[in-house]
Amino acid sequence: MTENKKKILEMLADKKISVDDAYRLLSVIESDRGQPGDTTRAEPEVKSKPKYLRVSVMPDPENERAENVDRVNVRVPMSLIRAGIKLTALIPPEALDKVNGALKDKGINFDVRSVKPEDIEELIDALAELEVDVISGRGEKVRVFVER
Amino acid sequence: MNWPPTLMHVKIKNEKANFGLWLPLFLLFPLALVVLIVLSPIILIAVLILCGFGRGRWVWWGLRCLKVAIVSSWALRGLKVDVQTRRDIVQVSVI
Repeated sequence: MTENKKKILEMLADKKISVDDAYRLLSVIESDRGQPGDTTRAEPEVKSKPKYLRVSVMPDPENERAENVDRVNVRVPMSLIRAGIKLTALIPPEALDKVNGALKDKGINFDVRSVKPEDIEELIDALAELEVDVISGRGEKVRVFVER
Repeated sequence: MNWPPTLMHVKIKNEKANFGLWLPLFLLFPLALVVLIVLSPIILIAVLILCGFGRGRWVWWGLRCLKVAIVSSWALRGLKVDVQTRRDIVQVSVI
């Protein structure tokens, strides 16, 4: 038992703290088990905002057919994606109906009008977790990911 | 603060063409502003005429288009496109 745990139990015995407080403090110590003697809670890792969406197609070095593969390296700033989504507000309603119809024909049941400017930040935050890694049989290595 | 793009580099290399172009965007933006100021009386007249004929919605739409165009061009900084095939190389980067 660590010194801190003993202190908490002593404080509980002396009725200086409630059972709930003692439980909470013990939980904090348990979560910080990797840092003995430190009673402060570790700060959660602050993730920086995504800056760029990257798409790269590179030859897979382990594939012998990789020599003929085209190389693509695209870096799109997130601010440009934000601006692009705002562009949807300029599309006339008649055109949006056509877009929705075309999407439905392709089996995609999505209403383009439902994309609101308020949703943009949420969408970009969701993109931050995106990572696609595909290695094709033709010797291509395709990666879509977010750069911070 | 997001700074506007200052330079744009375009490079195209294939059997027919081989050139690289540096576009000084930091010169183009002030130029565009000057053109806008010079044309502003004509734009104002056009706005008044359109509003007079009950086409105010078009004016609103035009202003929004202008805003989006400015925001989009401002956001171009950092864009990089690099495509290399066996025959062609196309590179675009905005700095």
